[in-house]
Amino acid sequence: MKITYTWLRALVAALFAATTVVLPGTTSASAATELTFWSWRTEDKAFYESQIKLFEAKNPGITVKFTPYLNTEYNAIVSTALTAGKGPDIVQLRPYGAMANLMDAGSFLPLTTTSVPALKKLSPGILAAAQGYKDKKQFGLPYAVSALGVMYNPAILSASGVNALPQTMSQMVAAFEKVKKAGYLPLGNAGGNGPALEQLHATIGPSYYGGTQFFNDVVAGKKTFTDKGYVASLKAVADLAKYMPANYQGIDYNTARGLFANEKAAFYIGGNYEMGYFRSLNPSINIGWFPAPKATAGSKRYVGTWGDGSYAINSKTADQAAALKFLNFLGTKEFGQALVDEIAFIPTAPYVKINDQAVKEINRWVKTLGTPFLNVVGFRYENPTSSSILQPGFQKLIVGGTTPEQLAKDVQTAVASWYGPQKGKS
Amino acid sequence: MSKSGLKRDQHRAALFLLVPGILTIVLFTTVPALTTLSYSLFAWVGFQRGDFIGLDNFLRLFEYPFRDQFFMVLRHNTLVFIAVMIFQTGLGLLVAYALFKVVRGRRAYRTIVFLPVIFSLVIVGYMWQTLLDPFYGPINQILLKVGLTDWALPWLGDTRTALPTLVFINLWRWVGFPAIVFLAGLNAINQEFIEAARIDGASEGQIFRKILFPLLAPSLTIITVLTFIGAFEWFDLPFVLGGSNGSPAGATDTLALMFYRLSFGSVDSGANNVGVGSALGVVIFTIVGLGAALGSNLLRRREVEM
Repeated sequence: MKITYTWLRALVAALFAATTVVLPGTTSASAATELTFWSWRTEDKAFYESQIKLFEAKNPGITVKFTPYLNTEYNAIVSTALTAGKGPDIVQLRPYGAMANLMDAGSFLPLTTTSVPALKKLSPGILAAAQGYKDKKQFGLPYAVSALGVMYNPAILSASGVNALPQTMSQMVAAFEKVKKAGYLPLGNAGGNGPALEQLHATIGPSYYGGTQFFNDVVAGKKTFTDKGYVASLKAVADLAKYMPANYQGIDYNTARGLFANEKAAFYIGGNYEMGYFRSLNPSINIGWFPAPKATAGSKRYVGTWGDGSYAINSKTADQAAALKFLNFLGTKEFGQALVDEIAFIPTAPYVKINDQAVKEINRWVKTLGTPFLNVVGFRYENPTSSSILQPGFQKLIVGGTTPEQLAKDVQTAVASWYGPQKGKS
Repeated sequence: MSKSGLKRDQHRAALFLLVPGILTIVLFTTVPALTTLSYSLFAWVGFQRGDFIGLDNFLRLFEYPFRDQFFMVLRHNTLVFIAVMIFQTGLGLLVAYALFKVVRGRRAYRTIVFLPVIFSLVIVGYMWQTLLDPFYGPINQILLKVGLTDWALPWLGDTRTALPTLVFINLWRWVGFPAIVFLAGLNAINQEFIEAARIDGASEGQIFRKILFPLLAPSLTIITVLTFIGAFEWFDLPFVLGGSNGSPAGATDTLALMFYRLSFGSVDSGANNVGVGSALGVVIFTIVGLGAALGSNLLRRREVEM
């Protein structure tokens, strides 16, 4: 029976959490403190363990145990454990809405610039990624920024006679046509994965709806999702479908990314975090990056961005001092530098030096053209989230199953059902 | 020992042996079901329970966008049940009859037919995903090579073909199950009935229609009820192939996926809604419970008539 199976999983997760957690008392009783640290980044296990060794060498008496969980199950595992008053001492947090409910419920230790001085160096937009929904208290130390843009294969562009990077969408379309004529696939993106389409929209869309200004207006309830500019941004996604691979609606995320990584497609529109995946498939690939072209010659250019992940402390930790010590270690220049050098994240901290050329370039654009990822930053706090309507909505839109106007209306109705400033608006 | 003493002892032993089973059912079925029911009556913020709100979550389930999703997935589950009954059970019956008739290599055929049932579902899912890949998949490559260009569709990615494709994959994996159940039913039929019919001059077709099929009614009851429960709680294959959002565009969405998404949230689209999720859980439980009880009752009555 599936209902029970799902609940059973939650129960198992809770039991598991209860047994793996170091219970209060057991830690303080012994001389050595063992901190537990949960994450969804199974791929970063070796990195964190090597960093923990450095921390332990400098802080005798404190040991840290890093445990990553399956990324798709992580939210449920952490939520179940923390709601039951258990969970690890240090928690890696997903940004904005994903865990804001837990923050509001008092599951994490509020952080201040006194307890965690590294917070002082971060910008307000980045700090917002790890704040509660209701009272905007700081609960996490954000460590990475994600940015959306256009990745391209320089070799294919020069072979196709595209000599200048597109500045506007009409130049982009002209470049697509040239690439197509030269026998390459213009765009690697496909429709099999709803979230990837949402990211495509978050990349090219802001120039149509007016970036940060629209973000602020829609958050304040001054504008709605049925705004003309927003509808145009949805249509722009549908217009790109004809440059996607044949049968694009059925091509899954990995195949789509593989088309770009294996140098069959000239462009891929998405997040900077895709580059690591492209290079893992094809280490010799040369990838260029530029910010999404403007909608028209007269509009502005934007780079969709958001704080992507942070570190927090369980409010029920048995040894707050030790946990803070470790959190402050995660805020040091040395740790930040290692994170950037080894995992190629865009760092949140301005004092970290970026050596990777591509990351450096993206970071420069983020600073000048950055605009919040509308759905992630603004509307993932309650269900139905804007994303839960848009992801399947885009899949319908690109095959003509719905219209940009209808999709915009659907998003508005969904968000207005729970988001105060939009209530009663259509 | 007196007769009644023996009976009491047997009774006690039976009770003792039943305890682990009953305990498991209570702990892992009854308690979660009742918990779900209680959850559905409260407001929730994330995984934090709020105030008692009566039936508000049930009312919310029947508002946009949950209402639209609910009726869409209910339609999907119903279509899947009908399709599985017609194609999978129908083919299972034919396969069982063939296995019943075949003399040489019956055991080998039986193993082959049943083999996919024991495969890991995740592996079956990924295998078919690879076979049906619109770009690299061998099925579309073959279709293109033989000139059937119009048939080289994105099977799992087109909203029109995704659900039928899933039903097909389900059939490929499960057809052995009804086949084996029907075969066991056929083997249990008294040979004398068949011989008597043959002596009376009945054709093979008549024997199947008038004797074998009616006597298979108990097997058909079991398969129908199990198919109903399976179809309305379908989760694993759609989850493996379309993710928790029922990709593409909700074309492979089911009641169980919607329940999972609402209760636990989706990594890609964010927040959960335990209250509405639990309300949906109660609705699914009611549909499956009532449907299975009603179905088995009706079908049993039919068995008696035949």
